[in-house]
Formats: sequence, C-alpha cells, structure tokens
Amino acid sequence: MTGRFRIAKGWRDMKTIAYLTLDTLFWSKKTIFVVFISLVVLGMAVLGRLVLSYNWIRAPFTPAQVFSTLMSTAVIHFMVVFVTLFYGTALISEEVEGKTLTYLFLRPIPKPAIMVGKYLALVWTSVLLVLPTVVFSYLILYLRDDLRPFWEDAGVLGKDIGIVFLALLAYGAFFSLLGAWLKHPILAGLIYAFGWEGIVSYLPGFTRKLTVTHYIQSIFPHENAPASLAMLFGERTQAPEAVSTLLLMTALFLAAACLVLREKEYVLEQ
Amino acid sequence: MTRILEAKGVSKWYGQVIAVNKVSFSVGPGVTGLLGPNGAGKSTLMKLITGQLRPSQGDLTLWGERIWNNYPLFYRMGFCPEQDSFYDRMTGAEFVAALLRLHGFSETEVNQRTDSALQQVNLVEARDKKIGAYSKGMRQRIKLAQAVAHDPELLVLDEPLAGMDPVARKETIRFIRILGKEGKCVIVSSHILHEIEAMTSNILLIHNGQVLAEGDVHDIRDLIDKHPHHIYIRCSEPRRAAELLVAFPDVVSIRFHPESNALTLESRNPDEFYSRLPGLLLRHEIALEEITSPDDNLQAVFHYLVK
Amino acid sequence: MPIYDLSYRQWSGVWTSHPYRWWVITRQGINILGRKRRFLVLMILSALPFLVRCVMLYLSTVLGRIPLLTINAKFFEDFLSQQMFFVFIIAIYAGAGLIANDLKANALQIYFSKPITRRDYVMGKLGVLFFFLALPTLVPGMLLFFLAVLFKSDASFLEQNYWVPASVLGYSLLIIATYSVVMLAVSSLSKSSRFAGIVFAALFFFSRIFYQILSVVLRSTRVAWVSLGNNLTQIGDYLFQVSPQYQSPLWLSAMVLGLLMLGSVWLLHHRVQAVEVVK
Repeated sequence: MTGRFRIAKGWRDMKTIAYLTLDTLFWSKKTIFVVFISLVVLGMAVLGRLVLSYNWIRAPFTPAQVFSTLMSTAVIHFMVVFVTLFYGTALISEEVEGKTLTYLFLRPIPKPAIMVGKYLALVWTSVLLVLPTVVFSYLILYLRDDLRPFWEDAGVLGKDIGIVFLALLAYGAFFSLLGAWLKHPILAGLIYAFGWEGIVSYLPGFTRKLTVTHYIQSIFPHENAPASLAMLFGERTQAPEAVSTLLLMTALFLAAACLVLREKEYVLEQ
Repeated sequence: MTRILEAKGVSKWYGQVIAVNKVSFSVGPGVTGLLGPNGAGKSTLMKLITGQLRPSQGDLTLWGERIWNNYPLFYRMGFCPEQDSFYDRMTGAEFVAALLRLHGFSETEVNQRTDSALQQVNLVEARDKKIGAYSKGMRQRIKLAQAVAHDPELLVLDEPLAGMDPVARKETIRFIRILGKEGKCVIVSSHILHEIEAMTSNILLIHNGQVLAEGDVHDIRDLIDKHPHHIYIRCSEPRRAAELLVAFPDVVSIRFHPESNALTLESRNPDEFYSRLPGLLLRHEIALEEITSPDDNLQAVFHYLVK
Repeated sequence: MPIYDLSYRQWSGVWTSHPYRWWVITRQGINILGRKRRFLVLMILSALPFLVRCVMLYLSTVLGRIPLLTINAKFFEDFLSQQMFFVFIIAIYAGAGLIANDLKANALQIYFSKPITRRDYVMGKLGVLFFFLALPTLVPGMLLFFLAVLFKSDASFLEQNYWVPASVLGYSLLIIATYSVVMLAVSSLSKSSRFAGIVFAALFFFSRIFYQILSVVLRSTRVAWVSLGNNLTQIGDYLFQVSPQYQSPLWLSAMVLGLLMLGSVWLLHHRVQAVEVVK
C-alpha cells in the first residue's frame, strides 16, 4: 500500500465513521437538552437587551458588558464544557453500553481512524450547537439603531468564535480520551472541569498551566470577565503560546485516545 | 486440510478468572460447530477469533497472521455477534449499507450488496423498517445479513439461531450449510446439539475453557454410546416392568422411584432398547405414562466426556 | 364453541403487601453499591471534612476563643454546606443508574410482576440515596454536635445551642431530599445513566450560572432563587439563624424547592411504569 493510498483510505475511513457517528450523536435526547440550554442562554441575552433598551436599572450598562458576562460565564465555562463532556464521553462509552462497538471493530479500519472519525463528528456537532448561540447573542445585544458598537466589537466576536472553537477542540479531545479510557467518564469529567480546573486556576506557579482553562483565559478578550480574577494570581500565557498549547493539547489528548482505543480490550457485558 | 484458523496453547483470563485454558485446534473450510454449555468459554473464544480480545497466552492466527489489531483481516471475515444490539434508529437496509461503506465499497456496490444480503436472509420486505421495530428473529437475521454482505471467506456466527422461529431456524440452517458447501469457512457456536448436528458433523466441544473433543460428531456419539444410557420410565406397574426389562443383556441397572410410580434404568444399547420397549409393554398390558432420557442433552455428553 | 376474551385481564385476586416491602429494594441497592471499591473510597473521602472539623473542635476547646475556630451554629451550617460537594458526587454515582439501569435492562417488568407497587419501588430506590447521602451529612453533623457538647466542660454551650441538632436534622434532610428526589427523577428520564448524571449536574451548575448572569444584568441578588444551590443556602441560613446571603425572599426559595420536588415526584409517577408504550 503506497503512502498516498494509505492517506486517502485513512481519510475516507474517518469520513465514513464521522457520518455514521453524526447520525447517532446529533439525533439524540442529548441534542434536545443542549438546544434547551442554548435557548436559555439566548433568553438571557434577550433579557440583557431589554434591560439595556428600557433602562430597568440605573447603573450605566453596555452591550459589551452583558455579552462579556454571557461569554465568560455561560458559554466558555458552561456550554463548551458541558457540550463536549456530554458528546465527547459518549463517543466510545455509548458504543460500549449499546454493545455496538463490535460492528465497528470488525471492519477493515484501523482503530485510531475510528477514534478520529468520531472526534470529527463531535467537533462538527458541538460547533453547530455552540457557535450559533455566540453569534445570536451578539446580534441580540448589539443590533440597534446605532450600529457603531456592533462594528467596533465585531473583532471581539471574531476572537470569541476562535476561542470557543479552540476550547471545543481541546475539551472535546480530553473528554473523548476519558470516554475511551474510563468506565465512569462523566464523574471524572465533572471533577476535572468543575473541581480541578476551578481550584488549580487560582493557584500560583506552574500548576495552573496544567489546565485547559488557563490557556483559554489567557487569550480571552473580555477584561471584566470573572475569569480575569484568576489571572491576578499569575501571568497570562502569551497568545501565540496559548493557542499553540491548546492545539498541542488537542493533538496529545486525541493521540492518547487513539492509543487507548487501539490497546484496550472492551468487554461488552452480556 | 487447508488450515484457516489455528490456535496453539491459547489462554485468556479476566483478572483471576480463566475463560479459555490453553486450547489448541485448527479449523479449515466448511462448517465447524463450536459446542459447549453456557459459560464454557465459547463467546470468549469467538471474541479471540474475531480480534476483539487479545490472547493472554499462546498464538492465534488466521491465514497465518496474528489477529489482534490486524484490521486488514476483516476484509475476509464476517461476524454475527451474540448480543442483541443495533443502531436502533436505522432501518435494516441502512444498517447493512452503513457497515458496508466501512469496507470502502462504492455507493453502487454498497446498494447492490445490501439488496443481495437482505435477500439471502429473507428480509427484503422489512428493509425499510426501523430495526427497533423488528422481531427477535428478524434482528437475528439482520445481524447475519451484515456478516455476509461483504462476501467474506470466514464467517464467525455466535449463537445465530437464538430467538428464531422454527421456519427461520430451518432457513438459516440451510443457508449456513450452503455457505459451507461453497467452500467458505463457517464457525458457528451453539449449546444445542441437534442444531449443530443439522448444520455440520464437524464439531469442536468446549467445556470449562478447554477443548474436550474435536472432529466428527459421529465419533463423539460412538464414544458416548459406550457408556450406559439413562432412561426414565413412568408406568402403571413399575415392579413388573422392571422384572421384564432386567432380563435383557444391555440393561445394567434399575432404580425405583416409588413416590412417582417410576423407574430409571441404564442401558448399554439405547437404540435397541427403545425399539423393543413398546411391544413388550403392550404384550404385558402395562400402561406407559412417561418415558424420557436424562442423557439426551449436551450436558450429559460433557458429563460422559469429562468422566 | 366458547369465545375467549383475548384482551389483557386485570388481577382479580387480593393484593397482599406490607408497608416495608420497599426495604427489600433499598437493602439490595445498598449491598450492590457497598461492594464497589471506588464507591467506598468516595465515601471514605467524604468523611475527611468531618475529621477536619473534629480537629477544629478540639483546637477551639484547647486554645480557647479564636476567631476562625468559633464553635456556633454557623460552624455546623458551614460543615453541611461543604459536604454538598460530596453529596453531589455521591448522588450522581449512586443515583444516576438507579432507575436508568432498570429501564435499560427492562427490569421494571420484573419488579412489577412481584407484589410491589410503584410507590414501593420509588421508595426503595429513594431509600438507597437517603442512606448514602445521610452518611456524609446527617450522621457526621449530629456526631459533630455531640462531640462539641462532650468537649465543653460546662453546660453553657448546650444551653445556647440546644436547638442546633434540630437545625442539623432539618438542613440535612432538606439537602438529602432535594438531591435524592431530583436525581431519581432525572434517572427515570433515560435508559442511560450517563445521560442522567450529566443532566443532573447541568441542572445544578446551569441554575448557578443562570443566577450569576442575572445578578450581573440586574445588579441584584434578589434572583438567587433561580439557583438550586442558593435556595438550599437560603433555607440553611434561616434554619441556623444566620443572616441570609441573598436578598431573595425565603418563601420563594422554599416554594421553588417544593415545586421542584413535586415536579420530580410527578415525573417519577409517569416514568416508572411496568411497560413503556412506544409510539
């Protein structure tokens, strides 16, 4: 088999697996739940817009402040983590629980291609579910008679989209690894995302660099975000380093997931 | 014989539990029945053969190549798993087609092969029905369809007749026999002796993770016939019946069950015993109420072989 | 020629039952979880804060009045609030699969082919959660108070804090009931314990985040009632007679929790059926 043929076959295998996974991943109860959460986030954007438009509170308030709060609290620290945890851990464990993994493992496809194909489906699904929430929140808050703020902050929206995408990649790969590796990936994922990351972000020194969230916070464009509190305790990582670290983390987690899938014997309970 | 599958001292253990214990055998073209009671290690052996598990010890090869993590072998192998699990949202045709795509066939070929596989298992009419709405027998057949759709040289079928009605069972047995006659290597597992006997005479007996016997089923039957056969008889006059039966040279012992008006005897020649029993009882006007053989199951076969 | 009625027939015999049949299910659940090594490790970990509090009690007795080591009602409320982390983890570990796994294995048909009612079944399952959630809350909370009384050489502590055990009992039961009933209801929603676990976690985290955003947008803590955790804290503050952390009214927190539990019971009533009708 020539190198070029192998690459072509590998890509075709991954695409086939991704399509197969998309069907089972997207059309599920999980998606209904995530869409519900997205709608609540959009509802909060609408509420923010109403507060802004009708001056319900006396303190000065800008669309940027509301958008920043939504981004840092609801999107980055909740939606991204939950969507990737939800779908990422399901990639392999759902096949194990449903005992359908046999059908995939008995096809002439290398196991790493199965993992990467499934991961591609995860990225596609989570992008489809999270990014529209970001864009629509921005539109709800910024679209008004005076379009100057809309265009001024468009760059911030672009950055946010990029950061959310990077976060989906990194968290997605990490939770895919947990799903392939552990029997109870949800608990481990929750403890990591809401325990370990929450505590370690506030610790000084190198420890905080052992989290995904540190690199996301380092490139986060919103100054008044609660995440910046964590930065008081240590330096930000420079943007190019943070981006490349996030990409590197993604690659490492994914490679580890592929290795686990290749070497682990999955005993499907009768 | 061309050796397709070869096992040399293969063992598999889960923690402290040994599921397959140093088994050595080889399988060639045609149908081979893997027989054993529940928990004998059949499914573990099937999983080892299909590369889902890695042997803890020993060599297991297909066409001379190791199986674990050797994905190109799956171009030549089809597997029908025991577990009743599917992508329930898919229709039967979608399920077979989706798995065929993973073999790299073109879309036209996928469609052709899907149609042909569904035809082979008599599921053409239910092709567009969701698998979730299939009956147990239909689900078994769709599993069989996905296993044969890519026309593999080796077919591994784990309890393929489970849950099928008698008609579907007969059809499937016929289908498996045809595959064997076509020169394909078919390994089929079951714990029901007569099911396997209907498909092949070539069997592999497994018990407690060990291969007990390998070869022609008739040879194994002969082996069993050398042991006395237990026969349970309930009739109107058990004592008189015993008196008559004990005179025959093949009857070696008789035990009474006074509470149920019955007796259990041991015969060295059960076929002859069964042929003369009705006439004898009729002549002496003894009413026969029940006759069964506790030995007429696989467990008894194992019992004899282990003893 | 007789014509037979081929429709389903109701059991016309006498139903016999006794009030403690649910205990069989509870006992079985406790046994199964008790055999899991990881779960035992989790239970042991959940006892660590209790040991820390014991040391604090000891130090406060030995060293006298030190601001950080004041033993009052708040000391006990803080302990129970801290334990909510473990309650959350244990609820997911022990509760996510309680009904979901039965649904997956079609075990409800087997349960209801025995002389047990839906109420027995739900109570049995709730019993498992009550047992394991009481271990890191009610039991150490009471022990802690008992220890505090023992450590003090005079009766002044008991005279001032005689009502605290009732608060510990009330707050613990509130925490246990909320987590148990909600977890069980979520577990009945799906055949996947993974799905149940994550929906339960999302409910708690998302309601907190919802509050955080609303409090920023509206610049007020009056909306604290939207968060499940905040409602528990509000009622806890009232029970331990501590000034409330949020401006939202107490009755609203009580009402939200009450409605949530009623909703969960309603959900359980509808989801726990012997036969699931597939449309």
